[in-house]
Amino acid sequence: MKTYKKLVAGALLASALVSQAVAQEAVKLGVIFPTRTIIGEQAVHGAELAAKQINDAGGILDGRMVELIVYDSNFSAVDGVSAAQRLLTQDGVKYILGEISSTVAFAVIPVVESEEALAMLAMPKHPDVTNSGYENVFRLNSTSQIDAASFGKYLTETVKPEKVAVLVQNDDIGLTSLEQMKQLFGEKVVFSDIFDVKQADFSALATNVRASGADLVCVTAANPEQSGGVFRSMADVGYSPKRCLLPGYLNNDLPDVAGAAAEGVFSQDVYIDTIDSELNNTFVKEYLAAQGKVPGKPEVLGFETVWIVAKAIDAAGSYDDVSKVAKVIRDTQWESPRGKLRFNEIGQALTEKLYNTVVKDGRVVRAD
Amino acid sequence: MELLLQQIANGLSLGMAYALVALGLTLVFGVLHVVNFAHGEFYMLGALVTVLVVKSLGLPYIVALLVAIVLVSAVAWVMDIVAVSPVARKPGGDQIVLVSTYAAGLIIVETVLAAIGPTPIAVSGFSGIVHFGSVVLTMHRVFMFAAGIVMICGLYMLFARTNFGRSLRAVAQSDYAAKVVGIDVERIKTLTFVLAGGIAGLAGGLIAPIITFNATMGLHAGIHAFVVVVIGSMGSIPGAVVCGLSLGMIESVLSIFLGQHVAATLIYSLLLVTLFVRPQGLFQGALR
Repeated sequence: MKTYKKLVAGALLASALVSQAVAQEAVKLGVIFPTRTIIGEQAVHGAELAAKQINDAGGILDGRMVELIVYDSNFSAVDGVSAAQRLLTQDGVKYILGEISSTVAFAVIPVVESEEALAMLAMPKHPDVTNSGYENVFRLNSTSQIDAASFGKYLTETVKPEKVAVLVQNDDIGLTSLEQMKQLFGEKVVFSDIFDVKQADFSALATNVRASGADLVCVTAANPEQSGGVFRSMADVGYSPKRCLLPGYLNNDLPDVAGAAAEGVFSQDVYIDTIDSELNNTFVKEYLAAQGKVPGKPEVLGFETVWIVAKAIDAAGSYDDVSKVAKVIRDTQWESPRGKLRFNEIGQALTEKLYNTVVKDGRVVRAD
Repeated sequence: MELLLQQIANGLSLGMAYALVALGLTLVFGVLHVVNFAHGEFYMLGALVTVLVVKSLGLPYIVALLVAIVLVSAVAWVMDIVAVSPVARKPGGDQIVLVSTYAAGLIIVETVLAAIGPTPIAVSGFSGIVHFGSVVLTMHRVFMFAAGIVMICGLYMLFARTNFGRSLRAVAQSDYAAKVVGIDVERIKTLTFVLAGGIAGLAGGLIAPIITFNATMGLHAGIHAFVVVVIGSMGSIPGAVVCGLSLGMIESVLSIFLGQHVAATLIYSLLLVTLFVRPQGLFQGALR
C-alpha cells in the first residue's frame, strides 16, 4: 500500500513537472533573412524587437515565450531552401518568417507547403509570390504592381517629367521596375541601363545618364551603397536632375552613404518613422534605444512578421493547428506601427496608404 | 567626343583601381607561386582601417592611409605565418594554399561582419572637382590616379635598384638558385607577402572614398583583380598595370554603346578569350 502511494505521488509529481515544462516551452518561430546584408540585419532587429515586446508582455499561449531561430538565406535560393528545411525538419518549427528576395521566396514556398507549414514573407515584391496556390502564404510588403500604380500616379501627375532615365539593378525587382517605367512613360524614357548588384564604381553610368539630358532619373537599387554610389557619381559630374528611388528602398542609410548628393531624392513607402500612433511611437522609441537609430521599412516589416504570427497563434489558441492560425491572420484587421492592415484572399497585406518621402537635411522625411 | 573623353578619363580612374588591387595579387604569384584568395580581404581591410581612423579617431585621411598600410601589412604577416608559409612548404602546398587563404579570407570577412556589421560606411577623401577642358573628375579620383602612378614607380625602383628587389627577382626565377647564392628565400617570400598586403591596404584606403566601405567589397574586387592578373600574365607587374588600366577604359568606353551590364560582362569574356588564345597571358615573364 505504501509502495502504491509512493508510485501515485511520483506519477503526480512527474505529471506536474511535465505539464510545467510544456507550459514553459518556448514557441519557436523560424526567421530567414540575408542576415549579412544591411537590409537583412535591419529586418532581423525588427523581428527581435517584436519578440521582446511580446515576451515582456507575458508571452503567448498562457505565458509561453516566443523564441526566434534565425538563419541566413544569403540572397540565395539554395541557402534559403536549406535554411527553411532545417527549420521545418530539424528545429521543428511550423512558421517561416521573413525574407527579402522574391527568388528565394519562390524556392522556399514549396518546402513550406510540403511540410504543411505557414510562411509570413516580409519583403519580396514579385506579384506572383502570393499566387502559388498554397493558402498559408502571406506577404507584408507592397508588390511592384501596387508600387507602380501609386508611384506612377505621383510621377505623372505631380512630378511631370519631360525626359526620364531609369537605372536598375540586374535582378527580378530591377528588371520588373524597368519594364513598368517604360510602360508608364513610353517614349519619354530617353535612357535606361542595368547595373550588377555588386557594382561599386558608377562614374561611367553617371556620365552616360548625364549625356541623356533626362530631367528625372529613377533608380532601383536595394543596397544603399549602390543607390548612394549612383547619386554621388551623378553629383561628381555636376548633374542634378530630379532623382527618385523606386518605392521601398529609400531609408536613412542613403543620406549616410551619399551625403549631400542624396538631398532631394524622393520616393514612396508603406512606412515612415514619423507616423503618429501609440504603437509606432513605442516601436520607434524602443528600436532607437536598442539600436541607436530610427527604424525604417525593413525593421517594421521584420517586426510585423513576428508580431502578427505570434498574436495569431495566441488568438488561435494553438501552435500546431497551422490552418487555424492562417484563418485568424486572414480574418483579422491588424494594428502595426505603420497603421492598420489586413490580408486579402491570396495573402497579400493591404495597407492604408503609401507615404511620399524625401531626403531633407540628411534625413528621410514625409514629403507631404 | 566630349562623352568619349569623359569615359576615357573615367576608365583610367576605374582601371587604376583595378590595377592597384591586382598588383599585390600578381606579386605574390610571381614570387611565392601561389594564389592568395584572401587578397580581396586585404583590400577590404585597408578600406575599413581608413574609414575607422578618419571617422572614429578624427585623424586626417593621409594619416589613415599610412595606418592602413601598416595594419594590413601586419595582418598579411600573421596570415603568412598561419596560412601560407607552413602550408606552401609541404608537397603540393602551392595548391593547398588556395584553400588555406580562402579559409583565412572567410574568417576575416566574418570577423569584420561580426564586429562592424553589414552597414556601408562612407568616408571623405579629397573634395573638389578638377576640369580638364570638358572632362570632369573629382579631386579624389585624380589623387588616386596620381598615388597609383607614384606607387608603381616606387615598386619599379624597389625591384630594380635595391638588394631586396634583386633578391625578390631571384626568388621569382628559382628558389633553388636563389638559395645557392645565399638568399634567405623564406624571408624574401614573407616580406613579399607583407608588401603585397600593404599594397592592397593602400588600394583599399585610396578607393574607399569613391565606392563606400562594406564588409563584402573584397570579394568582388578580388574577382576583378584575378581577371586582370590572368589576362596580364600571372606574376607580371607591368601586365597588371597595363591590363588594369586597359580593362577599366574598355569597360567605361563600351558602356556608351552597350550599356553598363554588357560592358562589365565583356571583361569576363576577354578572360575566356585570353585563356583560349594565349593562356600564359599577354605579359608572360615580365617580372623576371
